[in-house]
Amino acid sequence: MADETDIKLIKCIQDGIPLTERPYRDIGNALGLSEDEVVSRLGRLIKEKKIRRFAASVAHRKIGINSNAMTVWRVPSERVDEVGPIMAGFPEVTHCYERPTFPDWPYNVFTMIHGYTDEECERVIEAIKEKTGLEDYVILYSEKEFKKTGTRI
Amino acid sequence: MELDNIDKKILQEIQSNFPLTPRPFRTLAEQLSLEETDVLNRIKDMVNNKVIRRLGPIIDTQAMGNTGGLMAMKVPEDKIEDVAEIINAYSSVSHNYLRKGRNKDIPYNVWFTMSAPDKEALGKNMKEIEDKTGLVVRNLPTTKKFKIGVRFSIYKGD
Repeated sequence: MADETDIKLIKCIQDGIPLTERPYRDIGNALGLSEDEVVSRLGRLIKEKKIRRFAASVAHRKIGINSNAMTVWRVPSERVDEVGPIMAGFPEVTHCYERPTFPDWPYNVFTMIHGYTDEECERVIEAIKEKTGLEDYVILYSEKEFKKTGTRI
Repeated sequence: MELDNIDKKILQEIQSNFPLTPRPFRTLAEQLSLEETDVLNRIKDMVNNKVIRRLGPIIDTQAMGNTGGLMAMKVPEDKIEDVAEIINAYSSVSHNYLRKGRNKDIPYNVWFTMSAPDKEALGKNMKEIEDKTGLVVRNLPTTKKFKIGVRFSIYKGD
């Protein structure tokens, strides 16, 4: 588990680090920690995978990656472990998860596909169909973005 | 904002990894044969122009002891904006989209992700949204992860 100082540190920088020459010293000054301690705590949180990445979140639409197709697949449960890695193997597939089904929702594997155009995403979907033999899927394009922030604690 | 090749090189580098060194912008500058001030100013511009949404930790809420997941709702057309506003009011909601099935109709149209310190708190928030909207919130938590991480090919070399 993360300790109280870790939580304080993450809360302080989860919306972004200061854009200064020595950001870790400035973060430390705000929290009463040394620059070294900030760096070593962040390093440990990354190693413990509590921080998945310490990096820039890029607004994909601003760099021309305009298409975002969440594609959901109905995969027989005994085939999930076989097709999951095949789908995840495509660089355009940025997320691939298994999720539960319900009477009105038979789609158990979710892939998030990003591309410069809808056609590019659809080519990836065709390739997944061909490699897996799966036929039952739905493409869900985002019609509107109501909110997108980073995950916060 | 028009990005030039230097901006793209910087983005390509920092979307995977931002240096944990005392002077991270200098470290980046050295890796990319640029000046520290130039790198810092370009990153500031990209943050101000929202090309970079955020520079910092991308947290694994589950590893931090939190719970959460993808939620879906079936919202009548004329209530979509109101419902989106109710959902967005929660700071624990990180994504919220209107989605439509392209090749097939699907029962849900509003999709959002929500996190909470524990299952009880998550359930309480879901119930609150259900009470405020009069609609059902369907929880679709991850049962298995095959891939997670958004990294785009931004700069493919000269």
